[in-house]
Amino acid sequence: MMLRVTGVEGGYGSVTVLRGVDLELAPGENLGIFGPNGHGKTTLLRMISGLLRPTAGTIAFEGEEITSWPPSRIVAAGLVQAQQGNTLFGDMGVAETLELAAFTPRARKDASAQLDRVYAQFPRLAERRNQRAKTLSGGERQMLSIGAALMCVPRLLILDEPTLGLSPKLKEELSQAFKAISADVPLILIEQDVELLLSVTNRLCLLEQGEIVRQIDRANAPDHAEIMAMYFGEAAL
Amino acid sequence: MIETLITTALAGVVLAALYALMASGLSLIWTTLGVFNFSHGALMMFGAHIAWTVTVAWGLGLVPGLVAGVAGAAALGIIIEYLLVRPFYGKPNMLLITVMTTLAAMIILEKSAQIIWGARLKQLPRLIEGDVTILGATISAHEALIVLLAPIVLIALAKFTERSRIGRSLRAVGQNQDAAALIGINVPWTFALAFALGAGLAGLTGVLLGSIRFITPGLGAEPLVAAMIVVIFGGLGSLGQTAAAALVIGLGEAFLVLVVGLYWTPFVLFLALVAILVLRPNGLFARAQ
Repeated sequence: MMLRVTGVEGGYGSVTVLRGVDLELAPGENLGIFGPNGHGKTTLLRMISGLLRPTAGTIAFEGEEITSWPPSRIVAAGLVQAQQGNTLFGDMGVAETLELAAFTPRARKDASAQLDRVYAQFPRLAERRNQRAKTLSGGERQMLSIGAALMCVPRLLILDEPTLGLSPKLKEELSQAFKAISADVPLILIEQDVELLLSVTNRLCLLEQGEIVRQIDRANAPDHAEIMAMYFGEAAL
Repeated sequence: MIETLITTALAGVVLAALYALMASGLSLIWTTLGVFNFSHGALMMFGAHIAWTVTVAWGLGLVPGLVAGVAGAAALGIIIEYLLVRPFYGKPNMLLITVMTTLAAMIILEKSAQIIWGARLKQLPRLIEGDVTILGATISAHEALIVLLAPIVLIALAKFTERSRIGRSLRAVGQNQDAAALIGINVPWTFALAFALGAGLAGLTGVLLGSIRFITPGLGAEPLVAAMIVVIFGGLGSLGQTAAAALVIGLGEAFLVLVVGLYWTPFVLFLALVAILVLRPNGLFARAQ
C-alpha cells in the first residue's frame, strides 16, 4: 500500500473532528476525497502531514508507520502536500520559493531539472519568477503552491482544494495540470467539484461527520444526481 | 566648536554600530519566531563575561575570548529557546508568555553573572591599540574597528538570509510555519538556529563593548533598551532599515548628551519613540501600506 490510514481519530483540543477514518491507496491509484465543509477533510490532511497528531489510529506510508514523525521527515520520505488557499511565503519571490522548496536532500539532488519541469507545467510561474508571492493572483498562488510541492519531488502528492475560488477557465487549466502530474506521481485530491474528481482520480471517498461514509469507483460511478443525493441528502432530489 | 561636533558625531557612529549589531540579533529572533527576546541584553553581558574569563582570567588572549564569548552566548540562546520559549509555541498568548519567560531569563542570567563573576568592574583589552584621527577628532582604533566591523557583519547576515538555503529557511519559517514544515524544513531546529544566531550577535556586541565600558552584571540593560528603540524605529524586519535606525539613534543619543546632558537623553529618546509610534506605527522608514 502506498498510504494506509487506520482508525484515525482526533481534532483540535477538546473538539473531535475525525471519528475513525480508514483509507487506503494502492500503487497506481489516484484518490479523490470530497464532502461538506467542516467535516474533517483538512484535519485528516494535517494528520497525514504530521502537523497535527491523531489521538488514536495509525498512518503508514509505503509500509512504514509515520504517525509520530515530524512534518519535515514525512516530506523527506516523499509524502508531500499543498495546503488549501496557501500563500506560502508572501515576501519571497516565485523562483526563490521554488528553489527553497527543494529543501530535503532527496529533492536537492534533482532541483534544477525539477524546476524546469515545474516551469514547463506552469509557464505563468516562469513569467512571474521575480514577483513576490503576495502580489500573485489567486490562480498563480495556487500554481506556486503546487509547484513548490512538486519541487519536494513527491512520491505521493496531496492537494487540498486546489481550485477553491477559481474561475471555470482556471479550473480547467489546473485539472489538465493534475492529469499531467498524475501520470508521474500518484495523487490524492481534495475537491468539492465531483466532476473534476471523476475526471482525474479513479476512486472517490465521501468524508462526512469525520468518517469515510461511502466509496465510489470510477468504473461503476453512479450518475451525477445520485452523487449529489449522497452529498446533500435525499432531500436535494 | 567644529571639533566638538565631529567628536560627537564619531561617538554617535560608534554607538550606532553597536546598536545595529544588538538590534539585528533582536530583529532576527523576532522575525523568525515572533518572540521579543528580553534576555538579549543579558546574553550580551554574558558574552562579555565569558570573553573576560578566557582573555584575562585564563590569559589566552582576546581572539579566543571573542570566539568563546560569541559561542557561549549562542549556546545560552539555544538553552533559553529550548527551556523557556519552545514549550509555549502555538499557545494563543505566546507573545505575552514569552515576554515573561525571556524577562525571567534576563534576571536569571544577571543574578548568575553576579554569583559567578561578582560585581567587581572588569574590562577587556582592546582588539587593536592606538588611536585614529578623523577630521581632527580622535577615537580609539578599537572603536574605529567596531565601526568597520558592524556593516560587514550586517551585510554578511543580510546575504545569508537572502541567498543561502538555510538563511532562506529562516525567512520562510518567519513568514509561514506550516508551509515551511510542508516543504521539509525542520521548524524547531530553525527556531533554535535563529536564537543561536541572535544570541551570538548579542555576544559579539558584548565582547566589543567590554573593551570600551566596564563589564558588570548590569552591562546589558542600557544597550537592550537602545536596541529596542532602534528596532521599533526601524520597523522590524529589514536589516537595512535596522542599520539606518541605529544610525539615527546613535547620532541622536550622542548629540542629545551634548545638548540636554546624559540625564535627560533617555527621556528625549523615549519621547521621540512615542512620537514615531503615533505617527509612523510601522517604523520610521517603513513604506506606507
